[in-house]
Amino acid sequence: MQEDFHYYATYCAAFLAGYSHAESLDICYSAQFVDLCSASLLAKIRAPRAAATTQLAMEMADARTDLLGLQNITRIWASFHFLPYDLYAEKKGVSRLYRQKYRLICQPNGSLVEDTVRLAKGSSLQAVGLAMHVLADTWAHRNFAGTPSLVINNTNEHFYELLPDGTERQIKFRHNPTAPDDLERGLFTNSLYQMGENAVMNLGHGRAGHLPDYSFIRYKYLPAWGGYRELLKDNPSDYLHAFCQMIEAMKYLRGERERFEKERYDRAAIEGLEDEIQTILCTRRLDACADWKALGERLSGQPIEAFSVEKYQQAYRDTPESGKDETFLGKFILAALAQKSMVTNKIYRSGSLLAGFSVDYEQKGFRGIKDFRKLVEQAREGEG
Amino acid sequence: MTGLQRIRSVLAGLLMLAGVALLLVQPEAGYRIIALILSVVLLIDGVRSLWFYFSMARHMVGGRLILFRGIIALDLGMFAYSLQEIPPVYILLYLLVANLFAGVIDVLRAMEAKRMESRWRLNLAIGIANILLALSCGFCFRNPTLLAYVYAAGLAYSACLRIAQAFPKTAIVYIP
Repeated sequence: MQEDFHYYATYCAAFLAGYSHAESLDICYSAQFVDLCSASLLAKIRAPRAAATTQLAMEMADARTDLLGLQNITRIWASFHFLPYDLYAEKKGVSRLYRQKYRLICQPNGSLVEDTVRLAKGSSLQAVGLAMHVLADTWAHRNFAGTPSLVINNTNEHFYELLPDGTERQIKFRHNPTAPDDLERGLFTNSLYQMGENAVMNLGHGRAGHLPDYSFIRYKYLPAWGGYRELLKDNPSDYLHAFCQMIEAMKYLRGERERFEKERYDRAAIEGLEDEIQTILCTRRLDACADWKALGERLSGQPIEAFSVEKYQQAYRDTPESGKDETFLGKFILAALAQKSMVTNKIYRSGSLLAGFSVDYEQKGFRGIKDFRKLVEQAREGEG
Repeated sequence: MTGLQRIRSVLAGLLMLAGVALLLVQPEAGYRIIALILSVVLLIDGVRSLWFYFSMARHMVGGRLILFRGIIALDLGMFAYSLQEIPPVYILLYLLVANLFAGVIDVLRAMEAKRMESRWRLNLAIGIANILLALSCGFCFRNPTLLAYVYAAGLAYSACLRIAQAFPKTAIVYIP
Protein backbone atom coordinates (compact mmCIF):
# COMPACT_ATOMS: atom_id res chain seq x y z
CA MET A 1 0.00 0.00 0.00
CA GLN A 2 1.05 3.56 -0.57
CA GLU A 3 0.32 7.07 0.63
CA ASP A 4 -3.12 7.06 -1.00
CA PHE A 5 -4.36 4.31 1.29
CA HIS A 6 -2.15 4.67 4.38
CA TYR A 7 -2.67 8.44 4.61
CA TYR A 8 -5.84 9.60 2.87
CA ALA A 9 -7.95 6.43 3.05
CA THR A 10 -6.93 5.91 6.69
CA TYR A 11 -8.08 9.48 7.38
CA CYS A 12 -11.48 8.62 5.85
CA ALA A 13 -11.73 5.37 7.86
CA ALA A 14 -10.79 7.16 11.11
CA PHE A 15 -13.37 9.87 10.51
CA LEU A 16 -16.05 7.30 9.66
CA ALA A 17 -15.12 5.46 12.88
CA GLY A 18 -15.98 8.57 14.85
CA TYR A 19 -12.66 10.31 15.40
CA SER A 20 -12.54 14.09 15.01
CA HIS A 21 -10.76 15.79 12.11
CA ALA A 22 -7.68 16.55 14.23
CA GLU A 23 -7.56 13.02 15.66
CA SER A 24 -8.01 11.49 12.21
CA LEU A 25 -5.08 13.58 10.94
CA ASP A 26 -2.84 12.29 13.74
CA ILE A 27 -3.90 8.72 13.05
CA CYS A 28 -3.34 8.86 9.30
CA TYR A 29 -0.03 10.69 9.74
CA SER A 30 1.19 7.88 12.00
CA ALA A 31 -0.08 5.23 9.61
CA GLN A 32 1.87 6.76 6.73
CA PHE A 33 4.96 7.47 8.89
CA VAL A 34 5.45 3.71 9.32
CA ASP A 35 6.67 3.67 5.71
CA LEU A 36 9.26 6.39 6.41
CA CYS A 37 10.60 5.79 9.91
CA SER A 38 13.97 4.31 8.95
CA ALA A 39 17.17 3.97 11.00
CA SER A 40 18.63 6.87 8.98
CA LEU A 41 15.72 9.14 9.90
CA LEU A 42 15.93 8.12 13.56
CA ALA A 43 19.68 8.77 13.57
CA LYS A 44 19.03 12.22 12.14
CA ILE A 45 16.65 13.17 14.98
CA ARG A 46 18.79 11.37 17.62
CA ALA A 47 16.06 8.84 18.40
CA PRO A 48 16.49 5.14 19.26
CA ARG A 49 17.26 3.30 16.03
CA ALA A 50 15.66 0.09 17.33
CA ALA A 51 12.32 1.81 16.69
CA ALA A 52 12.81 1.70 12.90
CA THR A 53 9.65 0.56 11.13
CA THR A 54 11.09 0.41 7.63
CA GLN A 55 14.36 0.27 5.71
CA LEU A 56 15.26 2.61 2.87
CA ALA A 57 16.31 1.27 -0.52
CA MET A 58 20.01 1.84 0.12
CA GLU A 59 19.77 0.59 3.69
CA MET A 60 18.44 -2.61 2.17
CA ALA A 61 21.16 -2.75 -0.46
CA ASP A 62 23.75 -2.34 2.29
CA ALA A 63 21.98 -4.60 4.79
CA ARG A 64 23.97 -7.47 6.23
CA THR A 65 22.45 -10.88 5.61
CA ASP A 66 24.32 -12.60 8.41
CA LEU A 67 22.34 -13.91 11.37
CA LEU A 68 21.92 -10.57 13.17
CA GLY A 69 21.22 -8.65 9.96
CA LEU A 70 18.49 -11.11 8.96
CA GLN A 71 16.91 -10.96 12.40
CA ASN A 72 16.82 -7.16 12.22
CA ILE A 73 15.23 -7.24 8.76
CA THR A 74 12.65 -9.81 9.89
CA ARG A 75 11.77 -7.84 13.04
CA ILE A 76 11.06 -4.74 10.97
CA TRP A 77 9.21 -6.25 8.03
CA ALA A 78 7.28 -8.97 9.87
CA SER A 79 6.19 -6.59 12.65
CA PHE A 80 4.98 -3.70 10.49
CA HIS A 81 4.40 -4.78 6.90
CA PHE A 82 3.94 -8.56 6.66
CA LEU A 83 2.29 -9.63 9.89
CA PRO A 84 2.46 -13.45 10.08
CA TYR A 85 -0.89 -15.21 9.86
CA ASP A 86 -0.29 -18.46 11.71
CA LEU A 87 2.91 -19.01 13.69
CA TYR A 88 1.95 -22.62 14.33
CA ALA A 89 0.92 -23.56 10.78
CA GLU A 90 1.84 -27.09 9.73
CA LYS A 91 3.21 -28.27 6.42
CA LYS A 92 4.15 -31.89 6.07
CA GLY A 93 7.42 -33.22 4.69
CA VAL A 94 9.42 -30.00 4.95
CA SER A 95 12.50 -29.10 6.96
CA ARG A 96 12.31 -27.13 10.22
CA LEU A 97 13.76 -23.98 8.66
CA TYR A 98 11.31 -24.16 5.76
CA ARG A 99 8.42 -24.53 8.20
CA GLN A 100 9.61 -21.55 10.23
CA LYS A 101 9.69 -19.36 7.14
CA TYR A 102 6.37 -20.73 5.90
CA ARG A 103 4.82 -19.69 9.20
CA LEU A 104 5.80 -16.07 8.57
CA ILE A 105 3.56 -15.78 5.51
CA CYS A 106 1.26 -12.82 5.91
CA GLN A 107 -2.53 -13.14 5.63
CA PRO A 108 -5.39 -11.05 7.02
CA ASN A 109 -7.39 -12.10 10.08
CA GLY A 110 -4.61 -13.89 11.93
CA SER A 111 -4.42 -13.83 15.70
CA LEU A 112 -1.53 -11.35 15.54
CA VAL A 113 -3.87 -8.76 13.99
CA GLU A 114 -6.06 -9.04 17.07
CA ASP A 115 -2.97 -8.69 19.27
CA THR A 116 -1.85 -5.65 17.28
CA VAL A 117 -5.21 -3.88 17.61
CA ARG A 118 -5.48 -4.75 21.32
CA LEU A 119 -1.97 -3.42 21.92
CA ALA A 120 -3.14 -0.03 20.64
CA LYS A 121 -6.20 -0.01 22.93
CA GLY A 122 -5.90 2.71 25.55
CA SER A 123 -2.71 3.96 23.94
CA SER A 124 -1.89 7.04 21.86
CA LEU A 125 -3.38 8.05 18.52
CA GLN A 126 0.06 7.29 17.09
CA ALA A 127 -0.36 3.67 18.25
CA VAL A 128 -3.78 3.58 16.57
CA GLY A 129 -2.30 4.83 13.28
CA LEU A 130 0.55 2.34 13.46
CA ALA A 131 -1.88 -0.52 14.11
CA MET A 132 -3.99 0.57 11.11
CA HIS A 133 -0.93 0.43 8.88
CA VAL A 134 -0.17 -3.11 10.03
CA LEU A 135 -3.80 -4.21 9.64
CA ALA A 136 -4.17 -2.71 6.16
CA ASP A 137 -0.91 -4.28 4.99
CA THR A 138 -2.10 -7.76 5.97
CA TRP A 139 -4.58 -7.42 3.06
CA ALA A 140 -2.27 -5.86 0.51
CA HIS A 141 0.78 -7.97 1.30
CA ARG A 142 -0.93 -11.30 1.84
CA ASN A 143 0.88 -14.42 0.56
CA PHE A 144 4.36 -12.97 1.11
CA ALA A 145 6.61 -13.15 4.18
CA GLY A 146 8.49 -10.34 5.92
CA THR A 147 11.79 -12.14 5.83
CA PRO A 148 14.20 -12.65 2.94
CA SER A 149 13.29 -16.04 1.48
CA LEU A 150 13.56 -17.34 -2.05
CA VAL A 151 11.50 -20.45 -1.31
CA ILE A 152 8.58 -18.39 0.03
CA ASN A 153 8.60 -15.07 -1.82
CA ASN A 154 9.84 -15.92 -5.30
CA THR A 155 7.62 -15.64 -8.36
CA ASN A 156 8.20 -16.74 -11.94
CA GLU A 157 7.07 -15.77 -15.44
CA HIS A 158 3.59 -17.26 -14.85
CA PHE A 159 2.08 -13.90 -13.87
CA TYR A 160 -1.08 -12.55 -15.54
CA GLU A 161 -3.13 -9.43 -15.04
CA LEU A 162 -6.91 -9.87 -15.26
CA LEU A 163 -8.05 -6.81 -17.18
CA PRO A 164 -11.42 -5.08 -16.61
CA ASP A 165 -12.72 -6.32 -20.00
CA GLY A 166 -12.30 -9.92 -18.84
CA THR A 167 -9.15 -10.69 -20.82
CA GLU A 168 -5.77 -11.71 -19.43
CA ARG A 169 -2.37 -10.22 -20.18
CA GLN A 170 0.99 -11.61 -19.16
CA ILE A 171 2.85 -9.19 -16.92
CA LYS A 172 6.38 -8.31 -17.96
CA PHE A 173 8.82 -7.47 -15.20
CA ARG A 174 11.94 -5.34 -15.51
CA HIS A 175 14.51 -4.39 -12.89
CA ASN A 176 14.99 -0.66 -13.37
CA PRO A 177 14.05 0.93 -10.02
CA THR A 178 13.88 4.43 -11.51
CA ALA A 179 11.41 3.55 -14.28
CA PRO A 180 7.75 4.02 -13.32
CA ASP A 181 5.39 1.09 -13.86
CA ASP A 182 3.72 1.23 -17.27
CA LEU A 183 0.06 0.28 -16.91
CA GLU A 184 -0.71 0.59 -20.62
CA ARG A 185 1.89 -1.95 -21.66
CA GLY A 186 1.72 -4.12 -18.53
CA LEU A 187 5.36 -3.41 -17.72
CA PHE A 188 6.28 -3.44 -14.04
CA THR A 189 9.47 -3.19 -12.00
CA ASN A 190 10.39 -5.99 -9.63
CA SER A 191 13.50 -7.07 -7.73
CA LEU A 192 16.22 -9.13 -9.37
CA TYR A 193 16.14 -12.89 -9.24
CA GLN A 194 18.76 -13.94 -6.70
CA MET A 195 19.38 -17.61 -6.03
CA GLY A 196 20.50 -17.02 -2.46
CA GLU A 197 17.73 -17.98 -0.04
CA ASN A 198 18.47 -14.98 2.19
CA ALA A 199 19.20 -12.35 -0.48
CA VAL A 200 17.42 -9.07 0.31
CA MET A 201 15.90 -9.15 -3.18
CA ASN A 202 13.76 -12.00 -1.87
CA LEU A 203 12.17 -9.95 0.89
CA GLY A 204 8.38 -9.55 0.97
CA HIS A 205 6.70 -8.80 -2.35
CA GLY A 206 9.86 -7.53 -4.07
CA ARG A 207 9.67 -10.27 -6.68
CA ALA A 208 6.07 -9.26 -7.50
CA GLY A 209 7.03 -5.60 -7.79
CA HIS A 210 4.53 -3.01 -6.58
CA LEU A 211 1.51 -4.97 -7.77
CA PRO A 212 0.26 -5.66 -4.23
CA ASP A 213 0.38 -1.88 -3.59
CA TYR A 214 -2.10 -0.95 -6.36
CA SER A 215 -5.75 -1.08 -5.32
CA PHE A 216 -7.15 -1.53 -8.85
CA ILE A 217 -5.25 -4.58 -10.00
CA ARG A 218 -6.32 -8.21 -10.17
CA TYR A 219 -3.76 -10.82 -11.10
CA LYS A 220 -2.95 -14.51 -10.89
CA TYR A 221 0.43 -16.11 -10.33
CA LEU A 222 2.26 -19.07 -8.82
CA PRO A 223 3.54 -18.27 -5.34
CA ALA A 224 6.80 -20.12 -4.66
CA TRP A 225 5.32 -21.87 -1.62
CA GLY A 226 2.05 -22.84 -3.29
CA GLY A 227 2.94 -26.18 -4.88
CA TYR A 228 2.15 -24.97 -8.44
CA ARG A 229 -1.41 -23.96 -7.48
CA GLU A 230 -2.41 -20.74 -9.20
CA LEU A 231 -3.37 -17.95 -6.83
CA LEU A 232 -5.77 -15.12 -7.66
CA LYS A 233 -5.13 -11.77 -5.98
CA ASP A 234 -8.15 -9.47 -6.08
CA ASN A 235 -6.86 -6.13 -4.79
CA PRO A 236 -10.13 -4.10 -5.09
CA SER A 237 -11.88 -6.65 -2.89
CA ASP A 238 -8.96 -6.89 -0.45
CA TYR A 239 -8.63 -3.11 -0.16
CA LEU A 240 -12.35 -2.72 0.52
CA HIS A 241 -12.11 -5.36 3.26
CA ALA A 242 -9.10 -3.55 4.70
CA PHE A 243 -11.00 -0.23 4.73
CA CYS A 244 -14.07 -1.68 6.48
CA GLN A 245 -11.93 -3.65 8.95
CA MET A 246 -10.03 -0.48 9.85
CA ILE A 247 -13.33 1.23 10.68
CA GLU A 248 -14.34 -1.77 12.79
CA ALA A 249 -10.99 -1.77 14.61
CA MET A 250 -11.02 1.97 15.25
CA LYS A 251 -14.57 1.83 16.61
CA TYR A 252 -13.23 -0.73 19.11
CA LEU A 253 -10.24 1.48 19.93
CA ARG A 254 -12.55 4.45 20.53
CA GLY A 255 -14.67 2.34 22.87
CA GLU A 256 -17.69 2.14 20.58
CA ARG A 257 -17.30 -1.65 20.33
CA GLU A 258 -16.64 -3.93 23.27
CA ARG A 259 -14.47 -6.37 21.37
CA PHE A 260 -12.40 -6.48 18.25
CA GLU A 261 -13.13 -9.66 16.39
CA LYS A 262 -11.52 -11.01 13.27
CA GLU A 263 -13.45 -11.24 10.02
CA ARG A 264 -15.82 -8.41 10.93
CA TYR A 265 -16.11 -5.51 8.53
CA ASP A 266 -18.16 -2.40 9.18
CA ARG A 267 -19.99 -2.20 5.83
CA ALA A 268 -22.78 -0.18 7.44
CA ALA A 269 -20.35 2.71 8.00
CA ILE A 270 -19.83 3.11 4.26
CA GLU A 271 -23.47 2.93 3.24
CA GLY A 272 -24.07 5.51 0.54
CA LEU A 273 -20.33 5.73 -0.13
CA GLU A 274 -19.70 2.22 -1.41
CA ASP A 275 -20.01 3.06 -5.11
CA GLU A 276 -17.65 6.01 -4.78
CA ILE A 277 -15.11 3.97 -2.82
CA GLN A 278 -15.34 1.13 -5.36
CA THR A 279 -14.69 3.63 -8.14
CA ILE A 280 -11.62 5.01 -6.35
CA LEU A 281 -10.31 1.51 -5.71
CA CYS A 282 -10.91 0.22 -9.24
CA THR A 283 -9.63 3.14 -11.33
CA ARG A 284 -6.44 2.12 -13.17
CA ARG A 285 -3.68 4.50 -12.06
CA LEU A 286 -0.53 4.47 -9.98
CA ASP A 287 -1.73 6.90 -7.30
CA ALA A 288 -5.24 7.52 -5.95
CA CYS A 289 -4.33 10.28 -3.45
CA ALA A 290 -6.44 13.01 -5.07
CA ASP A 291 -9.71 11.04 -4.95
CA TRP A 292 -9.24 9.75 -1.39
CA LYS A 293 -8.33 13.31 -0.31
CA ALA A 294 -11.47 14.72 -1.93
CA LEU A 295 -13.62 12.07 -0.22
CA GLY A 296 -12.00 12.76 3.14
CA GLU A 297 -12.46 16.51 2.84
CA ARG A 298 -16.08 16.06 1.89
CA LEU A 299 -16.69 13.75 4.86
CA SER A 300 -15.19 16.09 7.47
CA GLY A 301 -15.67 19.41 5.72
CA GLN A 302 -12.05 20.22 6.62
CA PRO A 303 -8.94 20.48 4.43
CA ILE A 304 -6.49 17.59 4.70
CA GLU A 305 -2.94 18.87 4.59
CA ALA A 306 -0.39 17.05 2.45
CA PHE A 307 1.83 14.58 4.26
CA SER A 308 5.22 16.01 5.22
CA VAL A 309 7.83 13.73 6.73
CA GLU A 310 9.52 16.77 8.34
CA LYS A 311 6.41 17.93 10.23
CA TYR A 312 7.25 16.72 13.75
CA GLN A 313 11.01 16.21 13.53
CA GLN A 314 12.15 19.61 14.79
CA ALA A 315 9.82 19.48 17.77
CA TYR A 316 11.29 16.11 18.75
CA ARG A 317 14.86 17.36 18.41
CA ASP A 318 14.17 20.54 20.38
CA THR A 319 12.44 18.81 23.30
CA PRO A 320 14.68 17.92 26.26
CA GLU A 321 15.32 14.20 26.83
CA SER A 322 12.89 14.03 29.74
CA GLY A 323 9.97 15.21 27.62
CA LYS A 324 10.66 13.47 24.31
CA ASP A 325 8.26 10.58 24.98
CA GLU A 326 5.42 13.10 25.17
CA THR A 327 6.08 14.54 21.72
CA PHE A 328 4.26 13.30 18.61
CA LEU A 329 7.24 11.30 17.38
CA GLY A 330 8.09 10.17 20.92
CA LYS A 331 4.66 8.53 21.16
CA PHE A 332 5.10 6.98 17.72
CA ILE A 333 8.48 5.56 18.75
CA LEU A 334 7.00 4.01 21.90
CA ALA A 335 4.22 2.43 19.82
CA ALA A 336 6.76 1.07 17.33
CA LEU A 337 8.93 -0.45 20.08
CA ALA A 338 5.88 -2.05 21.68
CA GLN A 339 4.70 -3.57 18.39
CA LYS A 340 8.16 -4.88 17.53
CA SER A 341 8.59 -6.34 21.00
CA MET A 342 5.18 -8.05 20.86
CA VAL A 343 5.65 -9.61 17.41
CA THR A 344 9.23 -10.70 18.15
CA ASN A 345 8.00 -12.37 21.33
CA LYS A 346 5.25 -14.25 19.49
CA ILE A 347 7.65 -15.48 16.82
CA TYR A 348 10.22 -16.50 19.46
CA ARG A 349 7.62 -18.36 21.48
CA SER A 350 6.60 -20.30 18.38
CA GLY A 351 10.10 -21.83 18.44
CA SER A 352 11.66 -19.68 15.74
CA LEU A 353 14.73 -17.47 16.07
CA LEU A 354 14.15 -15.78 12.70
CA ALA A 355 13.31 -12.48 14.46
CA GLY A 356 15.81 -12.98 17.29
CA PHE A 357 15.61 -13.55 21.02
CA SER A 358 12.82 -12.26 23.20
CA VAL A 359 13.21 -11.91 26.97
CA ASP A 360 10.14 -11.90 29.19
CA TYR A 361 10.56 -8.94 31.55
CA GLU A 362 8.40 -10.46 34.28
CA GLN A 363 10.59 -13.54 34.47
CA LYS A 364 14.08 -12.26 33.81
CA GLY A 365 14.00 -8.51 34.24
CA PHE A 366 15.46 -6.17 31.66
CA ARG A 367 17.93 -7.68 29.21
CA GLY A 368 18.97 -7.05 25.65
CA ILE A 369 18.87 -3.99 23.38
CA LYS A 370 18.86 -0.94 25.64
CA ASP A 371 16.54 1.12 23.39
CA PHE A 372 13.69 -1.05 24.62
CA ARG A 373 14.20 0.20 28.18
CA LYS A 374 11.72 2.90 27.19
CA LEU A 375 8.98 0.26 27.29
CA VAL A 376 9.89 -0.61 30.87
CA GLU A 377 9.81 3.08 31.86
CA GLN A 378 6.44 3.48 30.14
CA ALA A 379 5.03 0.42 31.95
CA ARG A 380 6.25 1.78 35.31
CA GLU A 381 4.67 5.15 34.60
CA GLY A 382 1.43 3.35 33.75
CA GLU A 383 1.53 1.52 37.08
CA GLY A 384 2.32 4.73 38.94
CA MET B 1 22.37 -15.18 19.28
CA THR B 2 22.87 -18.36 21.26
CA GLY B 3 26.09 -18.82 23.27
CA LEU B 4 27.29 -21.41 20.77
CA GLN B 5 26.69 -19.03 17.84
CA ARG B 6 28.72 -16.35 19.63
CA ILE B 7 31.63 -18.75 20.23
CA ARG B 8 31.48 -19.91 16.59
CA SER B 9 31.53 -16.32 15.41
CA VAL B 10 34.63 -15.47 17.47
CA LEU B 11 36.45 -18.63 16.37
CA ALA B 12 35.68 -17.95 12.70
CA GLY B 13 36.98 -14.38 13.11
CA LEU B 14 40.20 -15.59 14.77
CA LEU B 15 40.76 -18.15 12.00
CA MET B 16 40.33 -15.42 9.40
CA LEU B 17 42.82 -13.20 11.27
CA ALA B 18 45.30 -16.08 11.22
CA GLY B 19 44.83 -16.18 7.44
CA VAL B 20 45.53 -12.44 7.28
CA ALA B 21 48.78 -12.90 9.22
CA LEU B 22 49.85 -15.69 6.85
CA LEU B 23 49.14 -13.50 3.81
CA LEU B 24 51.10 -10.58 5.27
CA VAL B 25 54.10 -12.72 6.26
CA GLN B 26 54.28 -14.53 2.93
CA PRO B 27 52.63 -12.32 0.33
CA GLU B 28 54.41 -14.01 -2.58
CA ALA B 29 52.77 -17.34 -1.69
CA GLY B 30 49.54 -15.49 -0.96
CA TYR B 31 47.88 -15.77 -4.28
CA ARG B 32 48.14 -19.57 -4.27
CA ILE B 33 46.47 -19.58 -0.88
CA ILE B 34 43.72 -17.28 -2.15
CA ALA B 35 43.18 -19.47 -5.21
CA LEU B 36 42.88 -22.46 -2.92
CA ILE B 37 40.40 -20.60 -0.70
CA LEU B 38 38.29 -19.56 -3.70
CA SER B 39 38.12 -23.08 -5.10
CA VAL B 40 37.17 -24.44 -1.66
CA VAL B 41 34.53 -21.68 -1.41
CA LEU B 42 33.09 -22.87 -4.75
CA LEU B 43 33.04 -26.46 -3.52
CA ILE B 44 31.31 -25.45 -0.32
CA ASP B 45 28.84 -23.32 -2.31
CA GLY B 46 28.01 -26.34 -4.48
CA VAL B 47 27.41 -28.58 -1.48
CA ARG B 48 25.35 -25.87 0.23
CA SER B 49 23.20 -25.40 -2.88
CA LEU B 50 22.52 -29.12 -3.04
CA TRP B 51 21.67 -29.15 0.67
CA PHE B 52 19.43 -26.10 0.12
CA TYR B 53 17.66 -27.89 -2.72
CA PHE B 54 16.99 -31.10 -0.81
CA SER B 55 15.99 -29.36 2.43
CA MET B 56 13.99 -26.40 1.10
CA ALA B 57 14.03 -25.51 -2.58
CA ARG B 58 12.50 -28.78 -3.81
CA HIS B 59 9.21 -27.50 -2.34
CA MET B 60 9.45 -24.28 -4.33
CA VAL B 61 8.03 -23.44 -7.74
CA GLY B 62 11.01 -23.57 -10.11
CA GLY B 63 13.29 -24.97 -7.40
CA ARG B 64 15.04 -27.39 -9.74
CA LEU B 65 17.21 -24.49 -10.89
CA ILE B 66 18.90 -24.61 -7.50
CA LEU B 67 19.74 -28.26 -8.05
CA PHE B 68 21.41 -27.45 -11.39
CA ARG B 69 23.27 -24.54 -9.83
CA GLY B 70 24.58 -26.77 -7.05
CA ILE B 71 25.84 -29.37 -9.49
CA ILE B 72 27.56 -26.74 -11.66
CA ALA B 73 29.18 -24.98 -8.66
CA LEU B 74 30.42 -28.30 -7.32
CA ASP B 75 31.84 -29.18 -10.70
CA LEU B 76 33.52 -25.78 -11.07
CA GLY B 77 34.95 -26.06 -7.57
CA MET B 78 36.47 -29.43 -8.32
CA PHE B 79 37.81 -28.13 -11.60
CA ALA B 80 39.37 -25.06 -9.94
CA TYR B 81 40.85 -27.24 -7.20
CA SER B 82 42.40 -29.56 -9.77
CA LEU B 83 44.15 -26.68 -11.52
CA GLN B 84 47.77 -26.18 -10.51
CA GLU B 85 47.61 -22.48 -11.03
CA ILE B 86 44.87 -19.91 -11.56
CA PRO B 87 46.18 -16.78 -13.32
CA PRO B 88 46.25 -13.96 -10.71
CA VAL B 89 44.44 -11.71 -13.16
CA TYR B 90 41.16 -13.59 -12.54
CA ILE B 91 41.45 -13.24 -8.79
CA LEU B 92 42.29 -9.57 -9.14
CA LEU B 93 39.25 -9.12 -11.35
CA TYR B 94 37.10 -10.77 -8.71
CA LEU B 95 38.48 -8.45 -6.01
CA LEU B 96 38.09 -5.43 -8.24
CA VAL B 97 34.43 -6.11 -8.97
CA ALA B 98 33.60 -7.01 -5.36
CA ASN B 99 35.23 -3.87 -3.94
CA LEU B 100 33.82 -1.61 -6.62
CA PHE B 101 30.30 -2.89 -6.02
CA ALA B 102 30.59 -2.48 -2.23
CA GLY B 103 32.05 1.01 -2.73
CA VAL B 104 29.28 2.19 -5.04
CA ILE B 105 26.60 0.87 -2.66
CA ASP B 106 28.22 2.73 0.26
CA VAL B 107 28.41 5.98 -1.72
CA LEU B 108 24.76 5.66 -2.82
CA ARG B 109 23.75 4.98 0.76
CA ALA B 110 25.67 8.05 1.94
CA MET B 111 23.88 10.15 -0.70
CA GLU B 112 20.51 8.80 0.43
CA ALA B 113 21.35 9.63 4.07
CA LYS B 114 22.60 13.11 3.08
CA ARG B 115 19.33 13.82 1.27
CA MET B 116 17.59 13.03 4.55
CA GLU B 117 20.11 15.18 6.43
CA SER B 118 21.09 12.07 8.39
CA ARG B 119 24.63 10.81 9.14
CA TRP B 120 26.45 10.17 5.87
CA ARG B 121 30.17 10.95 6.17
CA LEU B 122 31.31 7.55 7.49
CA ASN B 123 29.49 5.68 4.72
CA LEU B 124 30.95 8.01 2.11
CA ALA B 125 34.47 7.48 3.49
CA ILE B 126 34.05 3.68 3.47
CA GLY B 127 32.64 3.83 -0.06
CA ILE B 128 35.53 5.94 -1.36
CA ALA B 129 38.05 3.63 0.36
CA ASN B 130 36.47 0.61 -1.32
CA ILE B 131 36.49 2.28 -4.73
CA LEU B 132 40.15 3.32 -4.29
CA LEU B 133 40.99 -0.25 -3.33
CA ALA B 134 39.25 -1.51 -6.47
CA LEU B 135 41.12 1.03 -8.60
CA SER B 136 44.45 0.02 -7.06
CA CYS B 137 43.66 -3.58 -8.08
CA GLY B 138 42.96 -2.28 -11.57
CA PHE B 139 46.25 -0.35 -11.84
CA CYS B 140 48.46 -3.16 -10.53
CA PHE B 141 46.86 -5.90 -12.52
CA ARG B 142 49.77 -8.30 -12.60
CA ASN B 143 51.16 -7.89 -9.12
CA PRO B 144 50.52 -10.96 -6.91
CA THR B 145 51.95 -9.23 -3.82
CA LEU B 146 49.42 -6.42 -4.06
CA LEU B 147 46.73 -9.04 -4.58
CA ALA B 148 47.70 -10.65 -1.29
CA TYR B 149 47.60 -7.31 0.56
CA VAL B 150 44.21 -6.31 -0.86
CA TYR B 151 42.73 -9.69 -0.06
CA ALA B 152 44.23 -9.55 3.43
CA ALA B 153 42.61 -6.15 4.02
CA GLY B 154 39.18 -7.48 3.03
CA LEU B 155 39.67 -10.60 5.12
CA ALA B 156 40.73 -8.54 8.16
CA TYR B 157 37.61 -6.37 7.82
CA SER B 158 35.35 -9.45 7.67
CA ALA B 159 37.16 -11.03 10.62
CA CYS B 160 36.70 -7.92 12.77
CA LEU B 161 32.99 -7.81 11.86
CA ARG B 162 32.62 -11.49 12.79
CA ILE B 163 34.25 -10.98 16.18
CA ALA B 164 32.39 -7.73 16.86
CA GLN B 165 28.99 -9.25 16.11
CA ALA B 166 29.49 -11.86 18.83
CA PHE B 167 29.31 -9.28 21.63
CA PRO B 168 26.41 -6.81 21.33
CA LYS B 169 23.16 -7.40 23.19
CA THR B 170 20.60 -8.66 20.72
CA ALA B 171 17.54 -9.75 22.69
CA ILE B 172 14.28 -7.79 22.70
CA VAL B 173 12.53 -7.31 26.02
CA TYR B 174 8.82 -8.17 26.16
CA ILE B 175 6.46 -6.75 28.78
CA PRO B 176 3.23 -8.75 28.83
